[in-house]
Amino acid sequence: MIVCVAVVGHQNNPLYLQSFTEADDALKLHHIVHCSLDVIDERVNNPKRSAPTLNETFLGLLYPTENYKVYGYLTNTKVKFIMVTTDLDVKDADARNFFRKFHAAYVDAVSNPFHVPGKKIASRSFGSRVSTIVKSFGAGTTV
Amino acid sequence: MPPLTPPKSGDALFASVDRVNAELFTLTYGAMVRQLLTDLEEVEEVNKQLDQMGYNIGTRLVDEFLAKSNVSRCVDFKETADVIAKLGFKMFLGVTANVTNWDAEGTSCSFVLEDNPLVDFVELPDTCQGLQYCNVLSGVIRGALEMVSMKTEVTWVRDMLRGDDAYEMRVKLIKQVPEEYPYKDDD
Repeated sequence: MIVCVAVVGHQNNPLYLQSFTEADDALKLHHIVHCSLDVIDERVNNPKRSAPTLNETFLGLLYPTENYKVYGYLTNTKVKFIMVTTDLDVKDADARNFFRKFHAAYVDAVSNPFHVPGKKIASRSFGSRVSTIVKSFGAGTTV
Repeated sequence: MPPLTPPKSGDALFASVDRVNAELFTLTYGAMVRQLLTDLEEVEEVNKQLDQMGYNIGTRLVDEFLAKSNVSRCVDFKETADVIAKLGFKMFLGVTANVTNWDAEGTSCSFVLEDNPLVDFVELPDTCQGLQYCNVLSGVIRGALEMVSMKTEVTWVRDMLRGDDAYEMRVKLIKQVPEEYPYKDDD
């Protein structure tokens, strides 16, 4: 079950932060997202020589904490998507699928002429699309 | 004199004109509306400007439309409306509109657009709720019809950006202006 998704801009400014669980955990989740930004920076600055820079969008499991797993995705404009989940076994394909749909929703939200790049995403339809994607995560079917 | 080639259908017309990428078109229009809002600041002013821009476009567009589509003279306003909805919109926007809600005298009708390439990805922010985002379309229709001697008034009835389920424009024919000759007949 996904508990939190976040979109962070290229200057590490938060663009969108949404948690899908009770409010008292929200601060802890935001903290986890914040820490994972450091992990992303590490990965980006020291690319492994074995994986050339072709498909570096999906960063994979960033770090597992006590009962959460954090996945990251980097777009070519250095916008980062972060997903925190409580699922113990997350298939790689599921996570990639999730980020692909999330990326599509993000691109549509940013194409709104009234969206100011660098400011928070205020689009209601983006929020509802993200909720739909989150709900269908881990449903198992590859549609 | 009979037309030399028969009028084309909507799809054939659409296939025969040069096309542009839909996203480029949508993003360009969005950027233009955005810039107008920044420059003019008043939502009503922006609506008026969009209408004026549409009017200028419409006066030029109607010639291209008539040249490419080979339609014959329309007998009455009903036929005009059908031609605009099926051929005009298809040729320039790639979508067809439905003509509905004819009034008793046949001078007023509605064009209903289910999908509108101008408004892909757009969400109106709370500060611009009075903005008629597609006002340029009403200007285009008004301008085009004025060039073929019909004075009309076009208003927006339904707007998907405000929460309705489709885009609906009400077009009302005010009068037919017969062509005026610049010289008197009996001189």
